Amino acid sequence: MEKKYGAYICAGCGIGEALDMEGLVKAAGESGIPGAKTHAAFCSAAGRELIQNDINNDGVNTVVLCACSPRVFQDEFNFGADKITIRGNIREQAVWCMEKPSDKKSADTIKEYTQELASDYVRMACTQAKKTELPEPYKLETLTRKILVMGGGIAGLTAAKEAADAGYDVTLVEREEQLGGKALGWRQQFPTKAPWTELEEPTVAAMVAAVTGNSRITVKTATEVARIAGAPGALKVSFKSGKTKSEWDAPAKVTADEQDLINKGGMADPNAGLQPYMAADPAAEDFGGVVLATGWTPANVSEYAHLGHGTLKNVVTNAEFERLAKAGKVPANVAFVQSPGGSENDMDFPYCNSVTSMVALKQAKYVRADNPDGRAYILYQHMRTPGNMEMFYKGAQNDDGIFLTKANVTKVEEGNGGLVVHAQNTLLNEDLAIEVDMVVLAAGMVPTTKEEASINLAYRQGPAFLDLELFDGYADSHFICFPYETRRTGVYTCGGVRKAMNMEETIDDATGAALKAIQAIESADRGVAVHPRSGDGSYPEFFFQRCTQCKRCTEECPFGALDDDEKGTPKPNPTRCRRCGTCMGACPERIIGFKNYNIDMIGSMVKSVVVPDDDEAKLRFVVFVCENDAYPAIDMAGMRRNTMNSLVRFIPVRCLGSVNMVWIKDALSSGMDGVLLLGCKFGDDYQCHFVKGSEIANKRMDNIGETLKSLGLEPERVGARDVAISDYDKVGDIVSAFVDEIVALGPNPFKGF
Amino acid sequence: MAEGMRVKPDLEFIRFMKKAGGDSLKKCYQCATCSVVCPLSADKKPFPRKEMIWAQWGLKDRLVADPDVMLCHQCGDCTTYCPRGAKPGDVLGAIRAYAYTHFGFPQGLARLASDGKNLPLLVAMPALIIAFMWYLSGGMHLPEAGTAVDFGRFFGHWDWPWLTKNVFFIDIIFVPAFFFSLFAAFKGGSSMWKAMAAGLGANSGFRPSASQFATEFLLPAVVEIVQHKRFKDCGTNYDRIKGHLPLLLSFIGLFAVTGYSFMRKDVISLFVSKELAHVLHGPIPLSDPFKLLANISAIALIVGIGILWANRMRMQDEQKVSATFYDWFLIVEIMAVGVTGLMAEVSRLIDVAPLAYLFYYMHLVSVFMLFIYMPYTKFAHLVYRTVAMAFERYRESSFVKQA
Repeated sequence: MEKKYGAYICAGCGIGEALDMEGLVKAAGESGIPGAKTHAAFCSAAGRELIQNDINNDGVNTVVLCACSPRVFQDEFNFGADKITIRGNIREQAVWCMEKPSDKKSADTIKEYTQELASDYVRMACTQAKKTELPEPYKLETLTRKILVMGGGIAGLTAAKEAADAGYDVTLVEREEQLGGKALGWRQQFPTKAPWTELEEPTVAAMVAAVTGNSRITVKTATEVARIAGAPGALKVSFKSGKTKSEWDAPAKVTADEQDLINKGGMADPNAGLQPYMAADPAAEDFGGVVLATGWTPANVSEYAHLGHGTLKNVVTNAEFERLAKAGKVPANVAFVQSPGGSENDMDFPYCNSVTSMVALKQAKYVRADNPDGRAYILYQHMRTPGNMEMFYKGAQNDDGIFLTKANVTKVEEGNGGLVVHAQNTLLNEDLAIEVDMVVLAAGMVPTTKEEASINLAYRQGPAFLDLELFDGYADSHFICFPYETRRTGVYTCGGVRKAMNMEETIDDATGAALKAIQAIESADRGVAVHPRSGDGSYPEFFFQRCTQCKRCTEECPFGALDDDEKGTPKPNPTRCRRCGTCMGACPERIIGFKNYNIDMIGSMVKSVVVPDDDEAKLRFVVFVCENDAYPAIDMAGMRRNTMNSLVRFIPVRCLGSVNMVWIKDALSSGMDGVLLLGCKFGDDYQCHFVKGSEIANKRMDNIGETLKSLGLEPERVGARDVAISDYDKVGDIVSAFVDEIVALGPNPFKGF
Repeated sequence: MAEGMRVKPDLEFIRFMKKAGGDSLKKCYQCATCSVVCPLSADKKPFPRKEMIWAQWGLKDRLVADPDVMLCHQCGDCTTYCPRGAKPGDVLGAIRAYAYTHFGFPQGLARLASDGKNLPLLVAMPALIIAFMWYLSGGMHLPEAGTAVDFGRFFGHWDWPWLTKNVFFIDIIFVPAFFFSLFAAFKGGSSMWKAMAAGLGANSGFRPSASQFATEFLLPAVVEIVQHKRFKDCGTNYDRIKGHLPLLLSFIGLFAVTGYSFMRKDVISLFVSKELAHVLHGPIPLSDPFKLLANISAIALIVGIGILWANRMRMQDEQKVSATFYDWFLIVEIMAVGVTGLMAEVSRLIDVAPLAYLFYYMHLVSVFMLFIYMPYTKFAHLVYRTVAMAFERYRESSFVKQA
């Protein structure tokens, strides 16, 4: 596209009063876009018409608009998909965060500093406009819309039916001989309608019938997925018979060190007899997206020796009790132990959730139904019965023979011809010894992903989801903000594999997962990102001639988008990609970039900042800001007219993971005094939208600190700080504290060279 | 390992409770709002929260020996503020009903009087006894024409001047009934005292003597009852005092009148001249201060029970209490005593013999019922609550505290 530029500098919202508009127009001209126009309010109909006229009459196709934050008026300043609009933020991040005049700083000085700040933002915007290109979406050669649902339980049945009802062909794979999963073993189900107190007859048979009778759904029972290769829209799935091995089983990830050991005979090859992960299975079927509904397995609770599971007769788990209840009459006196008690008395059993509370209530009702004088004791630390299930709880509590108390169960032992449950800290305000015929332990629901890869991807980063150990075996992407996502694009988990949940929740969950799979396929079809940069048509492009096969990009990509060949050259899969740019940040050769976001563009923007080399008061800082949380926080600070240090220049980045260290070198070599990264919290309760970006960036910053030291620069000149989106009242202080630290160090010694 | 309380919930007890007005007991989820609003609740004694869970768990032995249950005046604050509609006030009422049956002597009669199903029998028995005695006495006919209605000749007449036939029959019916009821009340009250004392755990060698018991525990309790101090702590149901106090005072008044009448007709008349005995045996003149007291008391009784009746109806309408046989039996019974007594007197004064005799008969039946069922019905609170209030003083006294 031949670019024709038009620069527009808005005087509205106090900009015109605070700044010298002529100076800004001049700054744009110096950056290569002369004749910038000004207007009292470009967001007004007249203002927009002015721009539109230039587009229509003069052929302007690249609009540089220096006004409010790019986060606002996005629709007003959208001039069409074939036009580029670059926004310079001189309102929230310049005029609205000006200092108040004081003894230390006069109004004139403040105005001077703010003018320089806004001029730099104008220069950066012009530079960005020069360096950016219109993205061209990546299109798969052939796209398959078929959806693969793994697991034929309640979740899988629902997902298959919902996807089919939405008009997509589905293949439902079940390892066992028949569909239905865990629900086949249930005697009764939780209530699903008012008054929410009566148990209901199982509905799984009807769900199975609806699926097997649906012409859009292909059911494969006694079948497993050996491996899934490819990328969303073009997945290659190899099937095998259930509970067998196949040469197409997804190979385990082998690190370079492990490969050395294997080669030297120090370790058995875990992938012996398996096809390499990049090998193409000619028998593989094509799919567009995957719903993973492989469910859960009952937790083993025999580790709690004082409760006697495995040693005492008639101490059973809730899953075992359900089997007994399904088979016939249950005993008359039963204690339901919801928490292990002992020394960790407030903890529930691992992998418990509200569903295990409700199961205890349901099974207590079996005791009452089967025995006119039945007594069911529920000993809990927590009862969780969300939503309408509170009515279920009340109904069970109202039963003459169901007895509930918070209790710390200390021991279960044999006695009086049955079992005796000892409990302390009860609501009855004394220790209890309850004689029962049977004790039922509320064993949790362990996701299948804890024990096996489940998803069986033939990806470079291995067959399973990543960092499972951080989340007790649950697949995670960003639980708070994007609960359905996994760290594998196009793969959506639902049901017991995602969370211990009941049937009603599972049905909702599976419906959502089916819709997410559809969304992934349709986004792949349009060549745009799914999440969180939904609709982004850019994608990373590689200049392979200069690739040194260092493998940083393939290792660091949080979403496993990059496979590689034997030599280690990356093989991009754009439909797996979330467009965070972590690969771009990782690449030491700087050969990865997006059309509208690349090394040269940001580097040039950094260099476009004017660094005075003769004024010790006018230090310059560049701050790379995560556009997901930190950038909105800074905008909000401006909207609240909080003061922001006028020595810093903010540059939004897609994710701190995309920050290439060369930009920091660019900044320091152009005489800037410090570089700061503002991004999301990382670690256990990370907030990074791309999971690993801020964590990787922090590691890189530690490393670059070392490099600076070797050059004789203080490592303190570069830093990284956490900013949450709610930190708008703190972000000004965080920035000032960093600036003050550098001011104390003095200017960059290389300034002026 | 430390042995906890062996628990085996009594399902029968829970079923009884649900029938006797405590149908909401299982709703309690132990939030303790009731204990915060209850004027009886103490720091370490979350009343009635702990009673609610004991009831839910069917721990009847704890509940019947719990003085607090008897000390509760059912002001209804707990029920009003309960966020879950568990109606602790009603549950406590049901526990008391159960306790009266539990401690009742003899058990057969106690059980009989605890269940609304037996109502026909409960009315029929006294009605037949009085009718049989009436028949036996030979007085079962209307007075001859020209003679004024004279309840002094209800059970007939003989010529022995010092004790009339009527007084004799009244005495052989009501004196045994009175002493039977007194004995049954004593048996029940002392069983409860023992159960409560066992619950204290501390058993010192010191026991209060009978006179210490009377002066240090019982008498102050009675004084407090008459003063209606506890009713004044009631929040939501404060109006009840307007009914209960006149009712209580009317009972005291009528008790005094009955005592006076007994002395006059059955005792003093034995030792005076024939002529004077004849006067003493006649109707007490309306000008007699005791007759005045009797009439005032009768009206106070009807007004008092009327207020309580209306009060309970209102509370029922507002769904603050449930309608139970236990509550309504006593209210209707007292109302019956008052109304039949007053109607008998009025029809005597206006000299309508058939009505007068019918009401008088009904009056005798209702009073008899009041006596013999007193230890088992809600009326038993007169015994058990008094005992509990005495016990409350006892457990704070040096007899217990020093042990």
